[in-house]
Amino acid sequence: MKRRIAPKTRGFVVVGVALVLAGSAQAQTTTGPVKKLKAAAIKVTMIESNEIKLPAEFQVSLYEDLIQQLQNKRGVPKVYREGDRNADNIADLVVLRTTVTGFKEGSERLRQVTTVAGATSITVHCTFADVSGKTLLEQDIKGNVRFFGGNLRATYDFAKKTAQLALDNFSPNAGS
Amino acid sequence: MAGRIIRVLLAGSLVGCAPWVLQAQTKAPTGIKVTQITGLPGVKNKTGGRLLAEGNSLHFSHEQMKVDLPTNSMEDVITGNDSQRFIHGAPGLLLMAAPYGSGRFLSLFRTKMDTLTIKYRDTDGGLHGVIFTMPAGQAEVLKKDLVAKGAHTSAPPEDEASKIPTAKEPKQ
Repeated sequence: MKRRIAPKTRGFVVVGVALVLAGSAQAQTTTGPVKKLKAAAIKVTMIESNEIKLPAEFQVSLYEDLIQQLQNKRGVPKVYREGDRNADNIADLVVLRTTVTGFKEGSERLRQVTTVAGATSITVHCTFADVSGKTLLEQDIKGNVRFFGGNLRATYDFAKKTAQLALDNFSPNAGS
Repeated sequence: MAGRIIRVLLAGSLVGCAPWVLQAQTKAPTGIKVTQITGLPGVKNKTGGRLLAEGNSLHFSHEQMKVDLPTNSMEDVITGNDSQRFIHGAPGLLLMAAPYGSGRFLSLFRTKMDTLTIKYRDTDGGLHGVIFTMPAGQAEVLKKDLVAKGAHTSAPPEDEASKIPTAKEPKQ
């Protein structure tokens, strides 16, 4: 005896299959090798915070941690600071601009006493552009400190993630 | 006999205490006791040392290591406030694991401190930033000193003289 499938059930099956296929296609695009962009050097500009009031120590800590993390990552192009005259004549220079879009200053005391409250978080919009200003890559990156450490540790978390992003997408040896 | 023993003991204790007495007589280290959080070239993060504004430079010294920052290269000098656990560092971390929540209770006790943030340019024009922490009330004094010696600031020093607690005068 032939069983008939209800139209409603058939609809669910079709949607399910479509979702599975879409998921596998997405997985193929993300797991494939990422084509790196050529960058002889990266120039890091000072962190901007036009709309968000950011304490000076956070701004400087973000900048210094970012430079330290980029310099410590093997495979990342040479790193220059904002205003460094040595970077002026470099071909394939990538300029990293960072703007703080979200900042919540937590409390180290609250973290130590409650463990679950008092987290500090910073959201930074990172833009990698060439010398002419054409955007090559942009992404929002979040830095957090939830359990241990002072508030400035959030900047270290952000810097590590940004350095990894630079390593994944830029290389001095890649074809442009 | 007893007097002789006492004399010998006194002489012995004087000889024993001589190094400490001599150490106390030598010149006390100058400058403010600070912790360099980040930014000084060639200095590890969170290094303790002494900071002194002398001539046209800011000197940071840690044991044999010395770093000078010319005041005319400073683009911005900013002060701030923060706090840290009364017992901090490795002992403080170990205390967090103390039983019955006593470690957490001890975290409530904190000491206030000042932060001094300086943005400066190196000889190639590269922008640097350095952060120091120091005992409360010291950063504004140091900032005034640096601005007087040629450093720039986006937040001009306020007239904090009345706010800073002065050293207690000896009772007469």
